Amino acid sequence: MELIVKHSDGEMKVKIERRGGEFNVQIGDQSYVILSAEAMSGVRSLLVAGEQFEVAVRSLGEDRYEVTSSGGVETVQVQDPLTALAEAAHAGEEDGQRRRVDANMPGKVTAVMVEEGAEVTAGQGIVVLEAMKMENEIQAERDGVISKIHVEAGQAVEGGDPLFELE
Amino acid sequence: MAERHKPFDKVLIANRGEIAVRILRALRELGKRSAVIYSDPDRAALPVLLADEAYRIGGAPSTESYLRAEAIVELAREIGADAIHPGYGFLAENADFAQRCADGGVKFIGPPPSAMAAMGSKIESRRLMRNAGVPVVPGGDDPLPSQEEAAAFAEEIGYPVMIKASAGGGGKGMRRVESPAELSAAYRAARSEAAASFGDDAVYLEKFVERPRHVEIQILADEHGNVVSLGERECSLQRRHQKVVEEAPSPVVGPDLRQRMGEAAVKAAQAVGYSNAGTVEFLLDADGNFYFLEMNTRLQVEHPITELVTGVDIVRSQIGIAEGEPLDERLAAIEPRGHAIEVRLYAEDPWRGFAPSPGKIVRLRLPEGPGVRNDCGVYEGGEVTIHYDPMIAKLIAYGADREEAMDRLGRALAELRVDGIRTTAPLFQALLADEDFRAGRLDNDMLDRKLAAGELSLTPPPHLRKLAIMTAALEHLERGGRKAAEAKLQGQRDHWREAGRRDSLRGSGWN
Repeated sequence: MELIVKHSDGEMKVKIERRGGEFNVQIGDQSYVILSAEAMSGVRSLLVAGEQFEVAVRSLGEDRYEVTSSGGVETVQVQDPLTALAEAAHAGEEDGQRRRVDANMPGKVTAVMVEEGAEVTAGQGIVVLEAMKMENEIQAERDGVISKIHVEAGQAVEGGDPLFELE
Repeated sequence: MAERHKPFDKVLIANRGEIAVRILRALRELGKRSAVIYSDPDRAALPVLLADEAYRIGGAPSTESYLRAEAIVELAREIGADAIHPGYGFLAENADFAQRCADGGVKFIGPPPSAMAAMGSKIESRRLMRNAGVPVVPGGDDPLPSQEEAAAFAEEIGYPVMIKASAGGGGKGMRRVESPAELSAAYRAARSEAAASFGDDAVYLEKFVERPRHVEIQILADEHGNVVSLGERECSLQRRHQKVVEEAPSPVVGPDLRQRMGEAAVKAAQAVGYSNAGTVEFLLDADGNFYFLEMNTRLQVEHPITELVTGVDIVRSQIGIAEGEPLDERLAAIEPRGHAIEVRLYAEDPWRGFAPSPGKIVRLRLPEGPGVRNDCGVYEGGEVTIHYDPMIAKLIAYGADREEAMDRLGRALAELRVDGIRTTAPLFQALLADEDFRAGRLDNDMLDRKLAAGELSLTPPPHLRKLAIMTAALEHLERGGRKAAEAKLQGQRDHWREAGRRDSLRGSGWN
């Protein structure tokens, strides 16, 4: 099976095949033979040439996975090459257009710092979200216009709820 | 002196999380009945599961639950609790609450309200300590209305000095002055900044303590006038004034300094008529001078490291003291044995500026084995909510010496798994790899300084990305296989369901 795996700063071509109890995985130009065993739901022991890695994997929707191992966590997206291609074309169309910013955690909106229609610059604070006694300023990631604000001060939000739209 | 109370049969814990669990353990060991309060989101939290009795105290916000002083005392009376243990945070240092307990005939497991009030005011406690002969940072709280007076006073206490706003806080109106030449500009700047920030331009002067360490003394005081020191804890590693790593003993405190600091702490406690467990915090400079900072009139988060190096159960002692028991005379001669290090596990994401990381803990494996203690307030499958302090557990490593304690802490962190939320564990792994930490070269700004300079390697190991790609590819491949099988099964189910629906419709006579 051929796949495109996207990570935080790029993407890799990956080939994976099952051979008996083993998996052959090719990442870029490197090949690995892997033994995998499920320790419990969502937790695997991987043996890569005898070296043991305990990994936990959590599905974040259709094709995204969060993988945790000793010392870190990495989120990757796995797609078949056709889907990846179609998405790339679509993303091209949307460039420079509207982008919705969602709450990355549950919390309470303590302040909305701009009004709809405001012109903002990259790094400018838009909404302040409070969780666990700490305030987090959600900023504009680039210059643009705030076309829509979905929240008001005092409102509780869940992770994934839309906060504002930047055009 | 205080009368002897009858031993408590039942104690109400006015707290949540790991400290409620810690207190529950002491109560069970003593054969006492335990009761806890809970807010709505804590209905099935770990303390509730471990307690003998549990009572709802209100909604999620602490102002509607764990801070409801009157309701908590009322509850204690209703359920026949003899005493209330406040833990730390919430109402633990609230003198009015302690007074309310006394008025309600429920014993508050902590110091008398008068001692709490005296230590609760920064200026008042400083004055009391100076009078009692406890060293405080040289300087004065008295405003210095002219530059000439400021210069004369700075000369008297010696440079460098710090100019501070009387109404101040948050670093506003604060100026560090290295030499007489800098004084006049700094004095004017501090006054105008103080006026702009607080509407009050009064400033005072204090000696600037260079690269200070935070070293605190744990004391125990009974209700018969006996006070002992259980030695020091070094808590210099702080992120934004929040302690994150503590150890006992301090790498720089020897028997002589320990004794002098212990004596100062005992004096501090006696000066306010203190009883029960308390902690006197000091700033310690590079030359071994120490200065009173404040007294925490409660059980500290980091009490376990003292328990490990002294063998004294501090929570059990607190209960005994509150029941009127005198302190064991042997405590006065106690010396630390071995070394203990505690790290505070916060539900924060070290890769995203320590942003809160609430959510469901889908997996939790706590380390075990030699020299490891966990004081944990959550369980696997439980939810870390946004309503309370993000500390979910404390991990404590004990060894024969500092080196062994660090090795065990590293090993324990390698065993630890918390999935579903992010924690500060990677920060501690990075610290254990840091030369200055390993050598015990600590000061209060060290952690913020190193984090700002990118000196602590929080970067995930280089093989992690490849591992993630492999794992996700494997998962995707197997999920593809499962999906095909499920789709087939779902087709069959739909078929059965449709057939069943037709049957039931027929049976109900609708046809």
